[in-house]
Amino acid sequence: MKILIVDDFSTMRRIIKNLLRDLGFNNTAEADDGKTALPMLKTGEFQFLVTDWNMPGMQGIDLLKAVRAEENIKTLPVLMVTAEQKREQIVAAAEAGVNGYIVKPFTAATLKEKIDKIFQRIEGGA
Amino acid sequence: MTVETVINDQVLATAERLIVEMRCGNEDQAAKALDELVRAREVSLFQELGKLTREFHDALASFRVDSRVSDLAEKDIPDARERLNHVITMTQNAADRTMSAVEHSLPLVEDIANVAVNLRAQWQRFQKREMNAQEFRELAKSIDLFLGTTETKSADLKAKLNDVLLAQDFQDLTGQIIKRVITLVEDVEANLVNLIKLSSQKVVPVNNHHDAIKAEGPVVPGVKTDGAVSGQDAVDDLLLSLGF
Repeated sequence: MKILIVDDFSTMRRIIKNLLRDLGFNNTAEADDGKTALPMLKTGEFQFLVTDWNMPGMQGIDLLKAVRAEENIKTLPVLMVTAEQKREQIVAAAEAGVNGYIVKPFTAATLKEKIDKIFQRIEGGA
Repeated sequence: MTVETVINDQVLATAERLIVEMRCGNEDQAAKALDELVRAREVSLFQELGKLTREFHDALASFRVDSRVSDLAEKDIPDARERLNHVITMTQNAADRTMSAVEHSLPLVEDIANVAVNLRAQWQRFQKREMNAQEFRELAKSIDLFLGTTETKSADLKAKLNDVLLAQDFQDLTGQIIKRVITLVEDVEANLVNLIKLSSQKVVPVNNHHDAIKAEGPVVPGVKTDGAVSGQDAVDDLLLSLGF
């Protein structure tokens, strides 16, 4: 499974990359905003997307909407990892079709829990 | 009795005199009264103008005295921007340095742990006398090797842990810089308040359209954020209520 990590801060990408590796996901790639991420995702080589919300260029919420609007990647599981935690934002992300929502700062356990839950749902739904 | 009432009384008296003189047909006297009336009007106009000029002058003067405003705009704000950029650089460097040390250390610990697990299994076989002499010689060699590499790796690990410790030295410096910027922000605030007082006009709040889902960055303790939920549990509850 190949995972794309999208965050404008390299340190956060590095943290998520290390945590994912610890969870057994060794195949990851990085992008620093939605604009760079979208063409990478469109190639279809990623099976999971972890994205921040607040980024220059294209924001995470817009990346999520763009993914859902793209025929070949519209079912891609998307986990939002963000400092944004307003009720309206979470509702908007849910409506846009997010699969999981983690607020920063977060723990390794939370990341594992949310990823496990996403896969359970996918397997349960399939 | 105010200056205005005195002037008004004089004007009234002159006006009455004007009527009387005109009725009596004293054209010279009437013209004189009319002149006086016009002059009185000019005097009050000049007085008003004088007052306005003085107020304008005072306002300009106090603005000039408070040259701190231009200092703030020209020097201090760009300076603060540089300082804050430096804070970002320093924290980023510290995070990178720390993570590099950790990424270097994790495999060291994993190696030590893996070999230890392996040796322990063999050691247990030896204790249970399940090991022949040749195997024991191999084990002794492995233990010797393990002790050697553990020594080297521990030293390496210690150096990396020290590195992590030293990488935290940014806190002192960024703390000082941020405190200075806070002082500057307070200064700007005070000057803005003065400026608003000086303009003595009601400031009409700009009705900026509020985008409810616009990214606002992290919630900061002590700063009220409307509609923010209180953490991961609250997020989970909200999503659960939405059918997640």
